[in-house]
Amino acid sequence: MAESANAPVKQEPVDAVNLESRILELCMEFPKGLTDAIIQNSMPQFDAQQRVTAINRLLSTGQVDLLKSSTGLVYKLKDSAAVSKVKGSDHQERLVYQIIEAAENKGIWIRDIRFKSNLLLTQVNKILKNLESKKLIKAVKSVAASKKKVYMLYNLEPDRTVTGGAWYSDQDFESEFVEVLNQQCFKFLEQKAALARDSKADPMAQKNAAYTSSSDVWKYISELGISKVQLSIADIETILDTLIYDGKVERTVVAAAAGGDADAGQLKLYRAISPLIQPTGLMKTPCGVCPVIKDCYEGGAVSPSTCIYMKEWLDY
Amino acid sequence: MSSSATRLCFLILKERYGEVVASVACCLAKKNYCPLRMLSQDSGLKLDQVKKALCTLIQHNLVTFQQNKKGFIEYVIHAEKVLQQTRFPRYIYCAKTLYGDPAELIIEELLQHGQMTLEKVVQRTIDRLTEAMEGKQNVSSTLVKEKFVNLVQTHFVQRCTSPDGNVENKEVASMPVLSVSPEELYVVPKMELDGFESRKRKRSGEGSEAASKRIKTDESESSESSIFWRVNVSRFHQYLRDQAIVQAVASKIDKNAAEVVRAMLRLSEVKTDEGALVASAMTVTEVFQNLPREFGISKQTIEQYMKLLSEDSSEFVSKVSDSGGGMYVINFKKLITVLCRAHIESAVQERFGSKCFRIFRLLLMKKNLEQKQIEEYAMIPSKEAKELLYRMFEEKFVSLTEVPKTPDHAPSRTFYLFSVNINQVSRMLLERCYQACGNLIIRREHETKENRRLLDKQQRVDAITASMEQSGADPSQKEEIEQMITPPEKAQLTKIKHMTNKIEHSELQLDDTIFILQTYLQYAHMK
Ligand code: SF4
Repeated sequence: MAESANAPVKQEPVDAVNLESRILELCMEFPKGLTDAIIQNSMPQFDAQQRVTAINRLLSTGQVDLLKSSTGLVYKLKDSAAVSKVKGSDHQERLVYQIIEAAENKGIWIRDIRFKSNLLLTQVNKILKNLESKKLIKAVKSVAASKKKVYMLYNLEPDRTVTGGAWYSDQDFESEFVEVLNQQCFKFLEQKAALARDSKADPMAQKNAAYTSSSDVWKYISELGISKVQLSIADIETILDTLIYDGKVERTVVAAAAGGDADAGQLKLYRAISPLIQPTGLMKTPCGVCPVIKDCYEGGAVSPSTCIYMKEWLDY
Repeated sequence: MSSSATRLCFLILKERYGEVVASVACCLAKKNYCPLRMLSQDSGLKLDQVKKALCTLIQHNLVTFQQNKKGFIEYVIHAEKVLQQTRFPRYIYCAKTLYGDPAELIIEELLQHGQMTLEKVVQRTIDRLTEAMEGKQNVSSTLVKEKFVNLVQTHFVQRCTSPDGNVENKEVASMPVLSVSPEELYVVPKMELDGFESRKRKRSGEGSEAASKRIKTDESESSESSIFWRVNVSRFHQYLRDQAIVQAVASKIDKNAAEVVRAMLRLSEVKTDEGALVASAMTVTEVFQNLPREFGISKQTIEQYMKLLSEDSSEFVSKVSDSGGGMYVINFKKLITVLCRAHIESAVQERFGSKCFRIFRLLLMKKNLEQKQIEEYAMIPSKEAKELLYRMFEEKFVSLTEVPKTPDHAPSRTFYLFSVNINQVSRMLLERCYQACGNLIIRREHETKENRRLLDKQQRVDAITASMEQSGADPSQKEEIEQMITPPEKAQLTKIKHMTNKIEHSELQLDDTIFILQTYLQYAHMK
């Protein structure tokens, strides 16, 4: 999902900064007022949408004013003093901006920005605030450490390591969501296994019929529509892995048919399996699950002949 | 021996043979090898009592003796055999399923008496069978003997060791040397069978009043009657182990697969040495021939099942070569390990819940993991995972290894790796089983003690009614006696019955776990 959006997004902020500074330059060239037509003519590579965003940003940060003149609406520099101040810090801002840009969608921690830029913390803070208010960058909370904020370009989709992927919302792990998916995946595989069992086919054919590829499970889950976020096949495989640890599912890997949807020519197949044994005998006695077994002995505070767990169990 | 095992030994022996025997056994268990006098001192019991107790224990194959270097006779107790006494009902049940009612009674008698002569076993079995059929049918001794020979031939019953007749200068030896030659272990001498017949004939002629005389004549008649027999528990264990494997296959794959494995195990009984950890290789054809026709499984299907079995993650069978359409073996050690793991996992599941179960299995699969990795693989939020892990750590289901990155062992520069040591967990769990089993016995005793008076009363009433029945008394009289037990008392009696049944059933279930854990630990020591 992130990959598909990446290509156009990556270019834009750079251009946005260029566009804004070009507009400011034009404003200085046309102190009487700059019309939209002039901007359009001098920078035809930007479309109307980009221009509007840039202008709006300049307006909201108070760098230009919108005035009515005989020729229609014109833009004017608001305050030459303020502009020069921006200009003065411009190259520092640019530096910070570039550092953040280099961090891509993994983001960068404020401390690392300071080290890399060799600026004082107060300066960095100010610049960051500035850039943030211009909507050029944004702060994202990382799941790795709850108090840690990382900065990245405004239009980037944060990396999974920062957000934790589909399983996190606001850096909270959504364990319920994971459990629901875990159960649904199992249900799907189990239905398939039951169908295979009922088919009365050869034992081998039965086993093979019970296998389902991860992409089929993914399709099923996507169609169920239980997920608000778009899940990838890899996400589903992570869930299927938990089912393996749960002892409910087995996996086998086969070479994929040509043009298969799996990577590296491998197809991961899953099937629901039955348990090897019934619950073990020890756990069918009250003492097996007893929380105080360590302190239980004849004559002790808890003892077998007076034990209430035993009593309940025997009365049942 | 651990304290919970000793405690369980004591409880088992006390229930069966009384307090004196139990305390002598426990004293012995603490000592390993111990001469008679010391035993009497330690237990604070009279020499006579200790002797009697030792006799009982020896009779039940729980104690053996030997002469040490200084010439003392020392006794040693086999605690594992004591613990196996709770398994008796299972042995009896095995015999019943394999060879029917007479075999069941033969095994029951042998277990109850420890060691018995063939004649006694057969006689008692016949008596009990006749009793059970209320004399409607005559039980042929040939049938019972046949079953006995069956049991011996299949090694479920074996000869006891006996004093070696060839020991020279008997006067010098202060202790009889007990031995039995391996060739004789599973052979019923023909003389024994015939001798029995002739003795029997003689007896029926003589009448029963000459019982004491008979024994005398027997002794002079043939030396064979001094042959005693006992149950060979390890053979039963082998059978129980095979049963467990078949059950697992049925549960994991299906009934037919289980039958295929059963056929393989039957084959291996013949082909494989007792105590071997891997069954000898067998071909598909052999398995096919060994499978009862009524299952109607074609050879082709068997081939498929063999493939399924060997491809299964539990690897029930392994292919060792391609010759003859594939040679397959069953690796008992591996399978018992798999089963043991399953039992331990199940214990985790029931005790800590499914999230812990996931973490535990994850650790078993991936061996060593850091907490962070566990969270990621198991998809359990950090805080919860931490809690679960530490709960299991506290109860010793998982272990923790510190791997310092720097020599100063600073916590911040140390890897903390969680792992599971199956061997260790098995031991720990076995301890717990012993403790639980002891608790069940205590509770059962407690319930009977609480209701002693009522139970005694019932016994008396039963005895009276039984004797009245025999003397053909009036039914109304009988009813009167029966009414001595009031309805509330009756309700209480049913309740006690229900409770004891439940506890006994539970003890047997518990033994399932114990058996697998013990077998695993036993195999783990064998190479
Ligand atoms: S007897 Fe009761 S208190 Fe003691 S271990 Fe068993 S269940 Fe727990």
